[in-house]
Amino acid sequence: MITQYLFYFLTFTAIFCALLVVFSKNPIYSALYLIVTFFATAGHYFLLNAQFLGAVHVIVYAGAIMVLFIYVIMMLNLNKEVEPHKSNIIKIAATVCGGILGLVLIAALRETELGEITEYSNNGIGLIEKLGNVLFGAYMVPFEISTVLFLSAMVGAVFLSKKNIH
Amino acid sequence: MLSTEIIYKIILILAVFTVTLVVALYSTFAERKVAAVLQDRYGPNRAGPLGMFQPFADGVKMFTKEEFIPGNADKQLFILGPSIAMLTCLMTGAVIPWGGDLTIGDYIFKLQVTDINIGILYLLGVVSVGVYGIMIGGWASNNKYSLLGALRASSQMISYEIAMGLALIALVMMTGSLSLGEIVRQQDEGLANIVYQPLGFLIFLVCAFAETNRAPFDLPETESELVGGYHTEFSSMKLGFYLFSEYINMFISSALIATLYFGGYNFPFQHSLGIEGNALSIVQTVVFFGKIFFFIFFYMWVRWTIPRFRYDQLMKLGWKTLIPLAILNLFITGIVIGFKNGFFN
Amino acid sequence: MILNDFFIFMKQELMLLFIIFLLLLIKVGKDRSNESLLYLINLLLLINVIAGFILPGEGSLFSDMFRTNPLIALEKNMLNIGTLIISMQSYSWLKSHKHLLEFYILMISTLLGMFYMISSGNLLMFYLGLELSSIPLAALVNFDLEKKASSEAAMKFILSSAFSSGLLLFGVSLIYGTTGSLAYAEITSHLSTDPLQIFAFVLFLAGFAFKISAVPFHFWTADVYEGAPVAITSYLSVISKGAVLFVFVSVLYTVFKPLADVWYGMLFVLSISTIIIGNLFAIRQDNFKRFLAFSSIAQVGFILVGISGSSSMGTAAVIYFVLIYIFSNLGAFGVVSIVSSLTGKERISDYKSFYKTNPFLSWILTIALFSLAGVPPAAGFFGKFFLLIAGAEKGNYLLISIAALNMIVSFYYYLRIVKSVFMEPNESPIESLTIPLISKVALYICLLGIVILGLWSVVYDYIFTLSPIF
Repeated sequence: MITQYLFYFLTFTAIFCALLVVFSKNPIYSALYLIVTFFATAGHYFLLNAQFLGAVHVIVYAGAIMVLFIYVIMMLNLNKEVEPHKSNIIKIAATVCGGILGLVLIAALRETELGEITEYSNNGIGLIEKLGNVLFGAYMVPFEISTVLFLSAMVGAVFLSKKNIH
Repeated sequence: MLSTEIIYKIILILAVFTVTLVVALYSTFAERKVAAVLQDRYGPNRAGPLGMFQPFADGVKMFTKEEFIPGNADKQLFILGPSIAMLTCLMTGAVIPWGGDLTIGDYIFKLQVTDINIGILYLLGVVSVGVYGIMIGGWASNNKYSLLGALRASSQMISYEIAMGLALIALVMMTGSLSLGEIVRQQDEGLANIVYQPLGFLIFLVCAFAETNRAPFDLPETESELVGGYHTEFSSMKLGFYLFSEYINMFISSALIATLYFGGYNFPFQHSLGIEGNALSIVQTVVFFGKIFFFIFFYMWVRWTIPRFRYDQLMKLGWKTLIPLAILNLFITGIVIGFKNGFFN
Repeated sequence: MILNDFFIFMKQELMLLFIIFLLLLIKVGKDRSNESLLYLINLLLLINVIAGFILPGEGSLFSDMFRTNPLIALEKNMLNIGTLIISMQSYSWLKSHKHLLEFYILMISTLLGMFYMISSGNLLMFYLGLELSSIPLAALVNFDLEKKASSEAAMKFILSSAFSSGLLLFGVSLIYGTTGSLAYAEITSHLSTDPLQIFAFVLFLAGFAFKISAVPFHFWTADVYEGAPVAITSYLSVISKGAVLFVFVSVLYTVFKPLADVWYGMLFVLSISTIIIGNLFAIRQDNFKRFLAFSSIAQVGFILVGISGSSSMGTAAVIYFVLIYIFSNLGAFGVVSIVSSLTGKERISDYKSFYKTNPFLSWILTIALFSLAGVPPAAGFFGKFFLLIAGAEKGNYLLISIAALNMIVSFYYYLRIVKSVFMEPNESPIESLTIPLISKVALYICLLGIVILGLWSVVYDYIFTLSPIF
């Protein structure tokens, strides 16, 4: 009962704040609304008993990535006058395309027959011990490859920020 | 309709809140007294016997000053900044085990608001979100010095979060659990974690200093360089919130260091003293607060002893020294645990 | 023993990892001269190519996260050879570049990602390989830090590639939601022509089509290819495209087999529009890199014709064509790379009377362009021939005739360059260039590849025997 109310509250918050991210004029406000959206999504993870995932979602997204976003916005001092003006035709075309994609998705969802939902009898699912076992057992290769991804992304980022000393 | 558990939790939350605020209040006073001792002078001694009512005088001063929001400042963000700072620093008190269990009648009351099994992740999350209080405050002031202070503060805090997390990972590897209550219980059975993780303790200590923006890492609010840093434009209660949140952060960090590395509310030979049950729990809580006060004193001692870092030295320390050390610590801990569990036979 | 399997099956990836770490350690150590480093790295890449041919195994590791069989090993060897040729061709550009080691670290990381993408048996591993192969490329596209065109190209590349990866991931998550698993074998058993699964497949196809620059998703190609340094352009157009094509073929034929009728129609539309638009735009280009971008878009259209035929002939034809395409495209790009690094000229109109001053280079360019156009006896003719035969399996003669007609159009723009190289006068032709020995060897390898592959049927037969029957 209370989880149902919580679910609707979190969903409403997430969608509303996501819309505000797109529609608000001040870029710092957009970033702050995005942070609230991330918190709402983390709340959804907690409702699904994915505790580690929810906590790490907050730490990584709301705590590190958005800090860097806001850092860049502050440094570049972006505001409405600097933004390039797009013609109305492009905005209308983009809305139409996005709307059609959403329409097709909703239509496909309505037509689909869902399979049976089997209840998991494993009560420990989502807990961090089980996650650790799976991460270092069956999913070892993706885990190690993601470390190579981070390493090369770091090398690329450090390289891109090198200044030319003419 | 409310069960005993909920009423008890509400009372416990209010108690933790009040104790936090009172301790932070008197920390402001203790800071000035410790500074006075270290600088061979008297310190505040007018507002009551030995100056004991000085914090209340400061509080009244803060309340009665004029609330001034600068003209071009963003009003909502201006109020939001100190609020976030205060919110996040108070939230951490929810997962710290303040003492053993109290048994009254049939009920066992734990002196820890919630013992979630991802306690350390919760701490890291709250610390990460705490950066926003400073950043938003600095941006909303519409002032170059505030902005510089905010940028310095945020880059410093996110740099030292990494080393802190890595030091904590080694601790978690040893303990096998992320919940703070479990970590304290294990230190009851063995030795305090500082014996097993000396390097981790050093790294965590340095990072705790950086995260709370205390000297020698107080570049964001240096008076000599940045007028007031990120809290230049704030006055009256908003400034009070910022300054107060720094002391609450200090209190909470000391509590964390005591919990994670020094045994929390346990003390040596606690089971062979002859006291049991509730009396033991109360003694444990008193000992815990003793440890906290020692670390608060340590914070103040370091502040008035060591000069502050330059910005590039600070970044170099965070990225080029602490992170490799923390990884080395992780590596050594891993090898030792491997040997203990017989992986290398 | 499991450990033995691990080292034998993953030997190519482990070798690449070893090279990456070696380069990182060299970077941390003291400075060495660029030339000695270049010799070392090219030697390592050569060893990498040779070692890839030894002991191809067959099996799967880590519960199907990593599969290998002789066909996959052959695909990886082809990519290795391509990388070696690119590295040898950009010798003169890299000799005086400050950030030599970052170039190789990033490039080999992308190669590693492509290897994992090709040999994955699970959508999670596939996506990780895809990301590993595209994120360092964004840094590589911006490798000339001074030029503004590079930064613009890198910006376009990373934004569009992130967006398309996001769409692909949405498709993958919908597939997971409707089938309950991410492993290839289990997905196939649960797929049917459910509307939501078709929608997921469309998103998946959109992600793929972006990477191979099929037509409605090709808008990033021209600007990125023009702005990036020539070595990276050749890498993008040959290796990146080739790897994604390999995965595309294997995923389409195995995982999405139940949806065969659905994707046949989509590939029909995609291939026709790709060939037509690629040809139309290539006619008007003056910048050589942009020209090669549109020509590669047209080549991809032909490959899509071959894929739409399905069956094992399609797989063999595609792999054979990619091999030929590697040699011919790298031949053309090699000439452009040498000219660009030694003189800085990149426009087609600068190549008039190229024959008078640089006969060797102009012959290589001519033969490479003949192969790209499909003039026999250059290998490109045989590659396109097999592709059209594979495409005709389903009996769709409209597609084949449109493709054949467009081949004639493409003759025009390829041979126009040959004509201007040999016959048109120029007051200030490109001066006679001294090519470093390594680049000369690379150009000879491309030439050999083009000439031999078409005529020596052993190669095609070998590939055909390896292609599984679907």
